[in-house]
Amino acid sequence: MTASGSVLPIESVPARTPEPESGPESAAALLDRYLEEQQITAAARFAQAHDAAHTGGPALAERYSALMPATPPAAGQQYAFDVDLDACSGCKSCVAACHSLNGLEERESWRDVGLLHGGSQSLPVVQHVTTACHHCLDPACLHACPVEAYEKDPLTGIVKHLDDQCFGCRYCTLACPYEAPKYSRSKGIVRKCDMCSDRLAEGEAPACVQSCPNGAIAIRVVDVEQVIEESETHLFVPGAPEPALTLPTTVYRTERALPRNMVPADYHAVRPEQAHWPLILMLVLTQLSVGVFLVERLLELLVPGALTASIRPVHSASALVFGLLALGVSVLHLGRPRYAYRAVLGLRHSWLSREILAFGIFAGLAVVHAAWSWAESAGWLGRTGGWGIPGAGSPIAAGFGWWLGWGVVLSGAAGVFCSVMVYDYTKRDFWNGPATAGRFFLTTAVLGLAAAWLPLLIVAAGDDAEQAGAAIDRYGAILCRGLIVAMAAKLVFEAALFRHLASRSTTSLKRTAWLLTGALSNVTTARFAAGLLGGLAMPGLLLSSRVPATPGPGQDLAFLVLVGMLFAACLAGELLERYLFFAAVASPRMPGTL
Amino acid sequence: MLHERDGHLTRDLLRTPGGFGLGQVPAKRKPDAATDMVCGYCSTGCSLTVHLKDGEAVGLTPAAGYPVNRGVACPKGWEALAVLGAGDRAVTPLRRDAAGSRRPVSWDEALRTMVERFKAIQAQHGPESVAFLGTGQLPTEELALLGALAKFGMGMEHGDGNTRQCMATSVVAYKQAFGFDAPPYTYRDFEESDVLVFVGANPCLAHPILWERVLRNRNDPAIVVIDPRVTETAMQATGHLAIRPKSDQTLFYGLARLLIERDWIDRTYIDAHTRDFDAYAAAVEPYTLDRVAAATGLETEVVLRLAETIHRGRRVSFWWTMGVNQSYQGVRTAQSIINLALMTGNVGRPGTGANSITGQCNAMGSRLFSNTTNLLGGHDFANPDHREKVARVLGIDPAVIPTRASWAYNEIIEGILRERIKGLWVICTNTAHSWINQGQVRDVLGRLDCLVVQDMYATTETARMADLVLPAAGWGEKDGTFINSERRIGRIRKVARAPGQALADFSIFKLVAEYWGCGETFRTWRSPAATFQILKRLSAGQPCDITGIDGYDTLDEHGGIQWPCPAGESAATVRTERRLFEDGRYYHRDGRARFLYEDPRPLPEPPNERHPLLLLTGRGSAAQWHTQTRTAKSAVLRKLYPAQVYVEVNPADAKARGIVTSDTVRIESRRGRITATAFVTRSVQPGHVFVPMHYQETNRLTDAVFDPYSKQPSYKACAVELRPVAAVG
Repeated sequence: MTASGSVLPIESVPARTPEPESGPESAAALLDRYLEEQQITAAARFAQAHDAAHTGGPALAERYSALMPATPPAAGQQYAFDVDLDACSGCKSCVAACHSLNGLEERESWRDVGLLHGGSQSLPVVQHVTTACHHCLDPACLHACPVEAYEKDPLTGIVKHLDDQCFGCRYCTLACPYEAPKYSRSKGIVRKCDMCSDRLAEGEAPACVQSCPNGAIAIRVVDVEQVIEESETHLFVPGAPEPALTLPTTVYRTERALPRNMVPADYHAVRPEQAHWPLILMLVLTQLSVGVFLVERLLELLVPGALTASIRPVHSASALVFGLLALGVSVLHLGRPRYAYRAVLGLRHSWLSREILAFGIFAGLAVVHAAWSWAESAGWLGRTGGWGIPGAGSPIAAGFGWWLGWGVVLSGAAGVFCSVMVYDYTKRDFWNGPATAGRFFLTTAVLGLAAAWLPLLIVAAGDDAEQAGAAIDRYGAILCRGLIVAMAAKLVFEAALFRHLASRSTTSLKRTAWLLTGALSNVTTARFAAGLLGGLAMPGLLLSSRVPATPGPGQDLAFLVLVGMLFAACLAGELLERYLFFAAVASPRMPGTL
Repeated sequence: MLHERDGHLTRDLLRTPGGFGLGQVPAKRKPDAATDMVCGYCSTGCSLTVHLKDGEAVGLTPAAGYPVNRGVACPKGWEALAVLGAGDRAVTPLRRDAAGSRRPVSWDEALRTMVERFKAIQAQHGPESVAFLGTGQLPTEELALLGALAKFGMGMEHGDGNTRQCMATSVVAYKQAFGFDAPPYTYRDFEESDVLVFVGANPCLAHPILWERVLRNRNDPAIVVIDPRVTETAMQATGHLAIRPKSDQTLFYGLARLLIERDWIDRTYIDAHTRDFDAYAAAVEPYTLDRVAAATGLETEVVLRLAETIHRGRRVSFWWTMGVNQSYQGVRTAQSIINLALMTGNVGRPGTGANSITGQCNAMGSRLFSNTTNLLGGHDFANPDHREKVARVLGIDPAVIPTRASWAYNEIIEGILRERIKGLWVICTNTAHSWINQGQVRDVLGRLDCLVVQDMYATTETARMADLVLPAAGWGEKDGTFINSERRIGRIRKVARAPGQALADFSIFKLVAEYWGCGETFRTWRSPAATFQILKRLSAGQPCDITGIDGYDTLDEHGGIQWPCPAGESAATVRTERRLFEDGRYYHRDGRARFLYEDPRPLPEPPNERHPLLLLTGRGSAAQWHTQTRTAKSAVLRKLYPAQVYVEVNPADAKARGIVTSDTVRIESRRGRITATAFVTRSVQPGHVFVPMHYQETNRLTDAVFDPYSKQPSYKACAVELRPVAAVG
């Protein structure tokens, strides 16, 4: 053992091959030799160091022993990170060491360091805040996960992620208020801090603990009861999300009283969040699909006989196509789509599982319903009569059709409700339950009414122009008026958010309003323009001109254009609205940097 | 299928005992060998254990047993290997053709071109018309070979290093005061002081591992930070004096006056070991408390309290870095600190000293062996005996040794402007980013007949201007030694393959010698190891004598060795940590230290009506190194600091200009303007703004003013104005 510590080459091999004995080399020979030598690697030059000298365990063990828990957690206790804010000088070695000692991807680290600043001019305060997974008592990631890829260890309390179980839906990254789970695009899964549990199990310190030059991070045993109690009375750390949401266990301690005006360095930063296009399409199209089925049910109810045998199956089929498209697209959101089937595992706790199940039932019923409609209108049901199946027109068949239709609508509505809850669960103000419910169900109404024109177009484009004309006479005005009301309500509802611009404090909704009117103002403008065009102008025009009472040869094109624009603008408007739903949300997070 | 607890993704993160005392490491990177080497960023000189697998570096951890860092490192150190694999490494020589575009050429063509063009320039304009700019980032062996080759082989007269930008002031201050460029401390002094005074220093970010040593201090020390900003270090200190920029010299003269007035000085020490004290006492007489308070903006009792703290302290140490060095009057300011240490007898004992913390990993090696301002080994070009000695050691004709020191960096730049210098060889530094008043220096570099840039990356701001780029191997791809701030010599090694045809700078210098036709002169400089033996011989009899160190293996065995280590005092017997002047004998011929002083001068460019704010520059984070040539190549380091340049501005100034945090603002000085993101914070005083130096825009603003003695640029204070971008017409 030598003074320089852990590792030394056992013997020295001459660094360079000896020069040729016979006189000086030519410049060219020297060049070749240098190029060759440059590629000789260490292995050829260092004798392999033996491990024998280091049987005594990690060389750093003594250094970090005081930062490790004296005993394992007892019942009612768990491990927690313990951060001494006074000792943290902001070097951020913990971030680099986490990356390095855990062999993470190029940009990946499970620890971040943010900055708080405040105080007065005579006593300004700057405080760095190191943060990783808080191994919460009530981990939102775990509850949100649809595939049971999270486990909370019953003994240590460590929240572990099962990487091979994850299918990359990223819902945990939305649910966790602390940005602890990190998504890996190349691997298609989320990964997160496990408190270096392998190391802890052997009495070694986690990467961040052993790397901190100032010993600012320790592992301690905390009482579960105390964590709950402190979540009520203490601020976790200034600028951090409410601890009561998930009961984070990390303890941030300081001897100094931090001034009350401490704000994170990124407090004023408003950056658009990632917009997940598969989710945007999935939400909008499932809602469209449910909406079309709902409109069908309501028309049957309000205008008996409105949907004739030639229209009804087209109506059901178009709704079904959108629904299936939505579900197909949603799979694209997954990092590992081939494991989509695992999605129902989390039914007991995950709204995402429930959403997937509800829409699964919806899709199944919708297929049966569409098939039933086709069969019914094609008269196949009559022919099956002889097989003991109730024929068309029989009360039993009609009853089945009626229940089936409502079954589709109800399962679809349940799906939309689950969608609402998926976002409500993240506790982001912009995504709160009532507002999101208003948003999603109004989209259902708007797009249901707008898309109800599609079957009419299809039928009109076929040889049944008369049928279509008759149907428009019967319920075209209802569709127009309904759309105007629904869209007007929705636009007013959405625009109401701008009132937060007047708010004195920088609330999360004010941040959203900032984003909508600032970085995302082009999208916002387009969204309202599309809504006004498709949801108010087009139906208004259709109503006022009474075009086309009976689409005749000359009016086909005008009808096509008007109705096409109505649908396209409504759909585009809702897609943009949903884009903003994702991009303009202000997500809770730990204090960040400029 | 339904609940997979294992699989390739789980295994990707498995940890396993790494052996070699490392503790657990990622299983996929379990080493089969390991070796220690000193880090290649700052002058702290931490040792890193490089993990090797099949002969290639697969990871690293801070070396546990090294006396400097004892198992910890800053983020730059952790990521030291990551930056070697960057996609923009220079992999072949590049030559600019007549049309102005760069194309890869062979080494043979590159070296022929370089030699032909430099020789042609010298033939036309004289030998001194070709100069070089070096660095504090190369190992000592390479720096010495470069300096010797340029001056004794290629006939150059002028060469300097980027150390001019950080350390020149301390060099001159020490030389004048102590008789040799000799930072007297050892890092243990951080742990043994009971009063630590940091002046213009932010070790929490600039030298995080030195701050770790401060925190190991068990004496419950008073830690006083003197800095216009509330830095991380100021936050951690027990006292912070937020003085006006460049008022530090006045403050220290005032403190000296107070200490003298109250007889809080060490007369015995002064009489035994110093000279010129009485004249100094007379000179500081006019620096009354009121004058100090007016100049610094401090309350008088704050100044009094500091005097008292220094008086009460039994082991007082003073530490400074760039806040002092990068000033138009840095030398005298540094000496005002040295004077305080001398007059209170706080030199040569544990926990004391007037201590300059160096910047770059081998600034200290460069100071002694770069053959620029000093003749090799801390010798004097003007001294015939020194020339004779060096010539004898190197086996050369003394007549080839210039009789005067090189021009300083700023004089070389000026020389280009005056058409005295037509060819420039830039090695491992990034002038077009880091030199003061960047707009001007880029214009100046553009006037050269031939610019050769030797660097790891072909993409640095300077390399992009070059006529010829020579691809160099970096830290981790070559051998040699560094000297850290506490004079500790430590090893670096080749643990990774250099990409493409990149060569160790040592090899490049040897090839240049060969192509130049002076290869024979450097025949004995066979390898870095052989060169180390030459350096030893050059150091003989100097304060920095290292003849007692056998060779590289001795350095390994002892965890680095501090100079001096003369032959009598074999490496095996010296203590791990040593400080200088324990016997009170300084390096001046009479053995006495000097008191040096001069009245402070006003700011060269005070804030004015058009530019009412004072711009401070400095280090922004521990994850950025200088011009970011290397650190910007690590994705993890990039996460640790803002991607775009930002400016810290006080709420009062921000409000007056309608600026809030995250706004884009325009900063304008008389020399240029830049756009930056505003960060409104009380950590800067009203009237000041702070911009980190790592962003390439920053030096478009700075003012090319220099210390008259050290020629170090005054980066820290110039006048600017700030406006929100929307309001900029």
